[in-house]
Formats: sequence, C-alpha cells, structure tokens
Amino acid sequence: MSGLVIDAERCIGCKRCIRACAFGGIEVRDRLAHPTEACTLCGSCVDACPVGALAIERPEVTGNGAREDALGAEGLSAYRDIWVVAQRDAFGRVLPVTLELVAKARELACERGCDVVAVLAEGASEPVATPGLSSALQPAPTPADTLLAAGADAVLRCRDERLAAQDPEVMAAWLAALARERLPEVVLMGATALGREVAPRVAVRLQTGLTADCTELALDPATGLLQQTRPAFGGNLMATIECPAHRPQMATVRPGVFAGLAQQGASSAGSASAAGCNAREGMIEDVMLAFDIVPRVRVIEREKAAAGSSITQAKRLVVVGRGIGGKKNLALAERLAELLGAELGCTRPLVEAGWLDYAHQVGQTGASVAPEFLLSLGVSGAIQHVAGIGGAQTIIAVNDDPAAPIFGVAQYRVVADCVAFACELVRQLGRKGWGRPRSGGRVQAQDRQAGLAPAGRASLTLAAGRL
Amino acid sequence: MGVTQVQIEACGSEHEDYLHDESRSTGFAESISFPQSEDEVRAILRELHERRIPVTVQGARTGLAAGAVPHGGHVLNLSRMNRVLGLAHDDAGTFSVRVQPGVVLSELRKYLSAKRFPLNGWDESSKAAAQALAEAPEQMFPTDPTESTACLGGMAACNASGARSYRYGPMRPHVQALRMVLADGDVLALRRGAVSACGRKLALTTEGGRRIVADLPTYTMPHAKNASGYYIEDDMDAIDLVIGSDGTLGVITELELALMPAPAVIWAASCFFTDEQAALDATVSVRAGLSHVAALEYFDPAALDILRRAKASGTAFASLPDLPAEHDGALCCLYVELHCADEDQAMADLGLLAEILGKTGGDAQRAWVARTAVDREALTFFRHAVPESVNMLIDERRRTDASITKLGSDMSVPNERLHDVVALYRATLAKEGLQAAAWGHIGDNHLHVNVLPRSHDEFLRGKRLFERWAHEVTAMGGAVSAEHGVGKLKRDFLAIMYGDEHLREMARVKGAFDPYGQLGRGNLFPEELLAATEEASTGAGPDAAADFAAGTSGAAGFERPGCEGVSA
Amino acid sequence: MMHIVVCVKAVPGSTEVRMDPVTHTIIRDGGAAVVNPFDATALEVALRIKDARANMGRPTRVSTLSMGIPATESLLRDCIARGADDALLLSDRAFAGADTLATSYALSCGMHALCDGTAPDLVLCGKMAVDGDTAQIGPELAGLLDMACATDVRSVEVPSPGGVVVRRATDQGIERVELPLPAVLTIAKDAVQPRMPSIAGVFAARDAEVRVLGAHGVGADSARIGLAGSPTQVVRSFVPEREAAGEDVLGDVAAQAARVRELMGGACA
Repeated sequence: MSGLVIDAERCIGCKRCIRACAFGGIEVRDRLAHPTEACTLCGSCVDACPVGALAIERPEVTGNGAREDALGAEGLSAYRDIWVVAQRDAFGRVLPVTLELVAKARELACERGCDVVAVLAEGASEPVATPGLSSALQPAPTPADTLLAAGADAVLRCRDERLAAQDPEVMAAWLAALARERLPEVVLMGATALGREVAPRVAVRLQTGLTADCTELALDPATGLLQQTRPAFGGNLMATIECPAHRPQMATVRPGVFAGLAQQGASSAGSASAAGCNAREGMIEDVMLAFDIVPRVRVIEREKAAAGSSITQAKRLVVVGRGIGGKKNLALAERLAELLGAELGCTRPLVEAGWLDYAHQVGQTGASVAPEFLLSLGVSGAIQHVAGIGGAQTIIAVNDDPAAPIFGVAQYRVVADCVAFACELVRQLGRKGWGRPRSGGRVQAQDRQAGLAPAGRASLTLAAGRL
Repeated sequence: MGVTQVQIEACGSEHEDYLHDESRSTGFAESISFPQSEDEVRAILRELHERRIPVTVQGARTGLAAGAVPHGGHVLNLSRMNRVLGLAHDDAGTFSVRVQPGVVLSELRKYLSAKRFPLNGWDESSKAAAQALAEAPEQMFPTDPTESTACLGGMAACNASGARSYRYGPMRPHVQALRMVLADGDVLALRRGAVSACGRKLALTTEGGRRIVADLPTYTMPHAKNASGYYIEDDMDAIDLVIGSDGTLGVITELELALMPAPAVIWAASCFFTDEQAALDATVSVRAGLSHVAALEYFDPAALDILRRAKASGTAFASLPDLPAEHDGALCCLYVELHCADEDQAMADLGLLAEILGKTGGDAQRAWVARTAVDREALTFFRHAVPESVNMLIDERRRTDASITKLGSDMSVPNERLHDVVALYRATLAKEGLQAAAWGHIGDNHLHVNVLPRSHDEFLRGKRLFERWAHEVTAMGGAVSAEHGVGKLKRDFLAIMYGDEHLREMARVKGAFDPYGQLGRGNLFPEELLAATEEASTGAGPDAAADFAAGTSGAAGFERPGCEGVSA
Repeated sequence: MMHIVVCVKAVPGSTEVRMDPVTHTIIRDGGAAVVNPFDATALEVALRIKDARANMGRPTRVSTLSMGIPATESLLRDCIARGADDALLLSDRAFAGADTLATSYALSCGMHALCDGTAPDLVLCGKMAVDGDTAQIGPELAGLLDMACATDVRSVEVPSPGGVVVRRATDQGIERVELPLPAVLTIAKDAVQPRMPSIAGVFAARDAEVRVLGAHGVGADSARIGLAGSPTQVVRSFVPEREAAGEDVLGDVAAQAARVRELMGGACA
C-alpha cells in the first residue's frame, strides 16, 4: 500500500501539516492527522511535520503494483555513461550551457567511473568554420572538437539535413532511438527553450523520468543515483529528485549554474582530473538518423528580435532615483546599464521631472519588473516603488542614507554616494574589458562628465551629515 | 533635549519630495523632521511651540486636497512611525489593531491576509491576540481609499473612505481610540464612548492636565457622504471631532482600529451601458434591490475612452482587461461589488442585477463578473488605472503649459438628487465646452468629475465652474468634499458650503486645541480668519486661551443631567 | 466541428514558501487553489479561436480537462462560465503523487475519453504551471498522442483543418511556424489577457455538468498513474537559503564597486 502514512504514536496534532498543505489534503481530528481525499501526495506536510510523524510510503519500485517497465539490479547495470546533448546557437557554435554540462558530467563521470559522451546533431552541409573566428593560420575548431576539448570522452555525431533546423521532434526521435540502442545511464540537456521541448519528448518515448531545470546535480554516494535538485514554486522551494528504477536518468539543467572548463581555469582541478581519470583520446563516431523521421513543424519565418526590450522583460535592470542628482548624470547611468547589459528604469519623480519617459517608470504606477539583478541607484524606496520590484531576484541598492527604506528590501546594501559609485563601477567595468565599450574614449568622457556632477554629490553629503 | 537638535533638519534640495503631495501642488518649508515615536513628536512640537512655528503634518503624501503640503514652517513627516504596536481580541471576538500613524494601508492588508504581524516589541496579550487572529477567519480593515499606499494616520486625519464606504462607511466608525499630540506637546488620549459632547459643548482633559473646552459649531451636516470641515453633531463623541479634522487640531500618534471578518465571498460585476441615463437608472435600482452591495462605482464614457487609449499605448496599462468597444455600445460602466456570506447570496444578487440590466438596457451577456482573486485584481487595476491615466494625460498637457493642473471634484448629494446633479455637470460642462472625465462612487451620489484643461484659460474656467457647482451642490443639500477632505484646495468651497459664521465657529474650536494656529496652517481656514481667531484667543495675554475657554463655558450655562463635568 | 481541449491545473493561489523559524519545517501559505495562470491564458486563446471561427460560421467545441482533487470541479465550472463548452475532471486517489510522465499519461487517457476514442484537433496547455515550473506536460502529451508540438506560443492564427500557424519563442527569437493538425501548443502567459465570465456565463456554468472520471473510467493502466506510475521521486525538499538578512557591502567606493561587479558578474552574458 502506498500513500500518506501517519504515525499515530508520534503525531501531536499540532496542525502544522494543515497550514503546509495547499489543497486541504490533511486534517486533524482528536489531535491526530488524517489525510483527506484531496491529498495529492505532494509531500509538503511531510516536510512541515516537526516530529517526523508523516511519510509518503512509496510502492516497491519493482514487483507488485509497480510499473512493469521498472528495472531490477541486472537491468540497471546494463546502462552506463553520461550523455550531454549538445546545443548550438544560430551560427552553429556550441552553447555555453553545453560546455558547462560537459564539465559537470566530467566531474560526475570521474566519481562514477564512466565516460562522458557528447551527442551532437549537425546539418549535412554545415560550414566547418565558425564565422568571424576563422583565420588562415588557425582554423576554428569544429563543434565536435570543442566538445572534446571541453572534457567529453567521445562524441556521437549525426550529420543529416533534417537535423539542421533543430526541430525538437526530429531531435527527440533521433535521441530516443540512439539511447535505446546505446543505453546511457544519464542524459543531460541545457534547460533552454529547445532542451525543455526535446527532453520531455525523449523521456516519454523512453518512458523514463525527467527532472526539469535543475540547478544542482550530484551522485548519491551509496546508490550512485543522480540527485537532481531543482527549484519549484517560483524558486521558493527546492526539491531533490531521483529516478531509481528507470533509465536513462534525465535532467535539463539551467544555464549558468555550473562553470564550464574554461571558466574553471586552464590548469585548475577540472582539466587535471579530466586528464587524470580517463586519459584516452577522445573519439568522434558518426551515427545515422532513421529514414522515416521527418519534421512536421514548418518554419515560415524568423522574426528579428525586437530592438530594446522592455524593462518588464529585462534580466538585468539599473534603476535610478532622485539621488542621481541631475538629469546630466543620466548619461552615466545609461552607460553603466550598457556595460552591465542591463535596461534602465527609474522612479516616478524622474518621469514627472521629464528626465526619462514613462516607459522607464518602475513601481506601482509604472511597470512591475522581475529581473535577476536589480541595481538601484539613489532610490529612497517609497512603498509605491518597492511594490513594483518585488519580483526581482537580487536587489543591490546604493544610497548614501543608511536609513533609506530601499535597504529594507535589498539583499546587498551599499551605503555610498550613488554618483561616485556609478562612476567607479563604470571605470572598473571599462578597464576590465567587460561588455566591450564602443570606444575607450567614450568611457573616459563619461567618467569626466560624471565626475563633474557636484550638485548630486553635494546634496548627498549634506544628507549624510545629519547622521 | 539634545535629541531634538538632531531631529529637526533644515529643508534642503533633497527634501523636495516633501513639499508636495498627490494633489500635485507644491508648498515651501524651512525645516523638516522624521520622528519615530510619540516622545519624539512631543519633543519636536514643544520646541516649535516656543517659537510659534507653523507645522504641517505629513504621512504618505497621497492626499488629493493638499492637506500635507507645507505652508511654510516645519514639516512633521510621520512616515517612519510605521510600526504596528499591538493587537487586541475582545470577549465579543472582535479584533482591534494598534498602529502608529505612518503604517501604510497596503502593509496592514498584507499582514491581515497573511495573518501574520511583525511581533517585535509586542506584549504578551498582543501576541496571544495574534495567535487567535491566525486561527480565526480572515479579518479585514474595510476602509479602502483607491490609493492603498495611503497611511492610516492620514486616512484618519481626512476621514478617508473609498469605494467600499458604500457599505462600511468611512474610516470614522472603525477608529476605536487614538492618541494625539497637541501643538504644545501635551497629549490627548481619546477612546470611543469615553467622552461625549453635551449638546454642542465639549470639554476634554489632556494627559498634562490642561482643560480644553469648546463650543461646537452650530451647523447641521448634510445628509450625504461628507468630509467637509469638522464633524459636528449634538452629543457627539469627542473622537469624531478629531477624525477628519485635516491635521488642524493635533498630531495623531497612535490609532486603535476595529477589524471585522472579511466576507467569505466577494464578487464584482462590471456592467456596460449604452448611455449614462441607463447607468443612473440602474444605480437607483441596484441601491433599492440588491442586499449585499459593498461598492457601487461608475465610469463615464470619457473615462473609458481614456482607458482604452492608455491600454493601446502599452507598458503599464497593457495588461488591462480588454474593454468592449464603444461602437459595440459599451459607452459607460457600472461596477457592483458584492460582499456575501456564501455563494448562494451572491448568486441571488447577481440574478437581481441581471434583471435590472434587462430593464435598463444593460447586457448580462457582456457584463464581467470577477469571482477569483485574479479577476478581482484585474478589476481593481481597471478602476485604479482610470485616475492614473488621467494624471498622465494632464502631465502631458503640463509640458506645453505648466499652469495646467488636474481639476478634480469631490462633491456628493443626497440620493434623490443623483439625476439632477449629473444633469448639472453635463449641462454646464457642455456650455463651457470643457473636456472632462467622471468616475467614482455613484452609490453615494459622489462622482469625481475631472476637468481636463487644454489651456490656461480652460483651467481658469474649470475652476470657476467648480465654484458654481459648490453653490449648487450645497443648495441640493450636498457636500463640497465627500471624501478627500478640504485641505488647502477646497477651502473656498467650505466657505461656500457653510458660510463665514460657521467657519468662524470652526476656527474657534481649532483655537481651543491650538491657540496659536500652528497646526495644518492653510487647511480649512483662510489665513485672515486664523489670524483673527488667534488674536481673539491669545491677544489678552498668556492665559487668554484658558480665559477664552472658561469664558465660553461659563456663558453657556446649560448643564444637564448626564453632562456633568462639562463646565467643572 | 473543430475540437479544442485545454488542459488546466489547479495551483495554490500563492507560491510563497517559508521556513518556520522554530521548527525549521516548511510552511506553505498556499491560499485557495486557482487555475494556473498560464492555463487561463491557454483557455482564452481557445475561446478566441472559437469566437473567430464562429464569425466565419464554423463551429468549435472547447473542452477543458484537468487531473486533480474533487474540489477542482469548481475551477472547471469557472472555465465553463468563461466560455468553455464542457469539462472533464480526472479525480481518483490512484492519480495522486504523479510526476510529469504519469500526469501526461493520465491526461492522454482523459483526452481519449473526452473525444470518444478519437483525438482532438488541437490541445492547448499553459507553457508551465506556477507551482511545478516543469513545462514538460505539453511536450510529453504531444509525444504520447503523437502530435506535432510548439512550445512557448505567443500568438495563434485561426486554424484551418489543414493546420495552424503560430508565433513561438525559441532560443534564437520568435519564429512563425505552421503545424499540421492535430497539434499541441503550450501558451505563454502574456499571449492574451484572459476574459472574465459574463453574468449569463456564471448562471450557465451553475447548471452545467462537469464530468468526473476515475482511473477505471478513463481506462488508465494502474501501473502508469499516480505515485506508482512515476519514475521520479522527490527525496527531499527544502527552502533555499537566501541572503535574507542582507549583506552590507563595505569598504571605500572602489571596493564596493568591485564587490558589486563580482556579484553581477556571475551571470553576465
């Protein structure tokens, strides 16, 4: 029997489980918890129980009542190696997330004692060189070379024109057939739009488990199972998930959470262990795509990305408030936003003063934003403004007034004159060759201009004086 | 005290924000402070009192009548007095919450819906009440001004209302007790039911032992929603004088607010009509026929048109629900919000509403019904987007002519004059050729008619028109300000509504609390009147205020049983 | 008649999760269940297709399908109030504890039950659910039903029996693509603004029937549904540690800027 099991000896009737349940799936009668018919076995109450009285009893993974496709020990042992499905950009270059995954797989493979296999789809007539990088002296590496260099032991490559357009259904059919034939233990893909469409179609063909958008991967030291940790509830809850009796264990992984080999440093542990645990030369094997697989979705046209995305969609946002001092300092903020790859937002007083137009206004009467990073410069943090930035993942606030309400919602508090801070950050970003300023001269000009903004600084110093 | 030296700052360029409020008029001030406790307020006021410096009390600066716009002197900004102080749970099961004046309404709502308060600094009985609240059905504070970032102190000072005041009344009845610091730093603590006037005579004792005795004005308030001037009634509760006094009597430093269980079912319907008369007829029928209406709001054709354009322009308003097209006969809109104990009640009222629509030319097929939180939010957004998009339109026009500001009316009339007042608005606007948009609390016959001037000339003509309306609305038995308070912007209308003699009576009440006319300077009363009153009350020497009070109380001689203490 | 099935999921009204400071257990302030906002958008897309086809004199049936607890019935009734023609709820203890594979299988069984053994012309799902965030149900359904699929769809042109043209977001940008019918589309949340029910709709929905079927009723293989049919298992869940207390970025302005550069560097494109 499976389901929510309540240990009557331990249950103290504290009702915490009731508060934890989103579905009215548990109730307390006579100081003892009882599941109701609304229970979805989501496990929230188990985690909420302070005395460990609740458990979700799972069916045996094999045998009576279990999926008949569940694998026993012998079946499981037939599967080995970690596959990373390569993904590429519009120019055919391997995406950073794929390289990050190869490096992570390398680490896991060393632990598990298996190989990392990169699986690569190419069109039949792809140019070998990567545009813009080729030179007569040094031919650009092919995608397969790149994957091997990143830490793959082998590359399974299919060159077929039907794969050129990266049609998810075609890719899924190919990958599923290949996995059925070669029996990988783990299949990883980047949680890109493509990955999140291809992986489920593969999983359903293979009737195996798939964990979406993981931010952490590890091996259970005892069982060797892949522990896949992922955010749910908009990132408010993390869940670690295993797939005990079905193979391959599949996961899509959020881009940017693991460092690629390059980021780990050329001579760091990453490449050393890559070389150390498996010294054999990487190899490229070409495989076929079955003849009867044809794409059903026809691409009519590709739209050019809209110029200047709106602040509501921005992943990074620089928001300026009155503390920026004067309209002339906006150029500094714009430059900073450009260097950070961010959009520029502002508070309502700046719009009312006519410094920026309404499209930039963040807050209750403007746009609600949800960037990954929000750098707030000289914003006091009026409640109307704060109401619009609740969706931001990380807020870094710069203000010279340590009592400014904005610090109440910021994860990082920078007590500083925001104009001086912005100047310094622009200077540092320019110097580090970050985001490639359009011309070095312009940065300096900006620096000078910003440095000449005494109004803002003077008033800020005055305000600081009262503390 | 050394503390106050630090607390009173010179008003500099970084304080520019504190010179204006949502009325978009700007004042001036020499100094500003941000106290965090009643003791700090007292210390600041004592210091200012010595020098007779005018003090403007500020909360969240969301007021529309410029009550918080400084009139020289000092700005006492209470936005940092934003702690919830405690919670009580009485034997009848009623919860009440004790707050500092700077607590913002939306914060209070957040705490109530999460059933969770920040408990630091709370005593044991408050913590016990918080536990009880967590287990009780969800509680609400019913006063709902459109601007939910208003602070509770400001809401009490102007007796705020909002759409749901149709059912729950304005802020006033929900205030159980308050503490108020007077201009001299003394404190007055008032609890509902504790001190009442005797007829029109009111006597109070401060915590410092000072007696305040005042003759209340002799006017009768209109039988309509009203926030114009002091609340005055025979045998009234003293606390009601303070609520709605626009910061002219003292500085509210603490409020105790009664909560009530949130209704189990909240449904809202937006009904579209092809003409305004039909919407007015439906209003009258809804008022008479439905039992659970909590709010009854109206949006006129121009308001809907502005909304349509705002939505089309994108960004913040892009997520507005798609309005039915004008050519589809959706010219104006009536919003009906139902608060019910269960869905059967709501279905019954909705059925009646469908019948009314059938009779008045509405369309039940096309009326929106919001029954889920998401839909209710969409309708709330829809309602709030109207004033916002009008503000944006005015901002645009201000760029060509800075003298233009929004002209928003806030007048109400008794039920039977609804059709008359709307006819008045329409006829006079048409005659003047002014562009306007109207929306608001039609259930209380209280529309915000906003003139949208295209030029300085139109702005001036609009102002004159409002003056004419003030006369006519008064004649209909209505109020010149039904909800926003008089503040500075509607001072002249108050004089029209009550006349000079009643205004002088009000000023004398202020004089009893604030002999030097320091507080809320510019609110309610013209300067000359305050100067005259001040002279009368203080001119004869330092004890004149007391003499004035004693003199009036002695002259009255109408002691009645049950009124002992008034002249003691 | 074109038949569109919209898959909807009941999700908690709020996705707020926090840790009990005393017991270190998870507290989820879920509030009342609501239709997953992405699914509400998908329903609106279906209803607009229905309206557009009606204007051309062509009939369309919009069904809603959900797997959930019995109380989900009221949410499906709300879908009918908004304009859906009928609804099927899959509700059975045996469905509980399902992962995406078991869920998509159950829904595919429900799909057959809704269509009397045939397939619908168009299946619309929200791009993802706000509680699970997996975005896997749509593509898995497409796989199980052997249909063409487009994810993260931003707009849909009125379909003809031959196919449907949609705009969808890919890693490279927006693509306009044509899919043959039957097809599965997963809809982005901001694609359209969901409508509200009319007063007439509310009364119609009150009297409408919401079919409820269990695992046997839809002929589901008991080994492929619910907890037993789910290859994946949640072994632990926890509230992520946040910089809740916040960090004071100290030092002179150069050091402060350097720290912020480091903070924002982690995910810079």
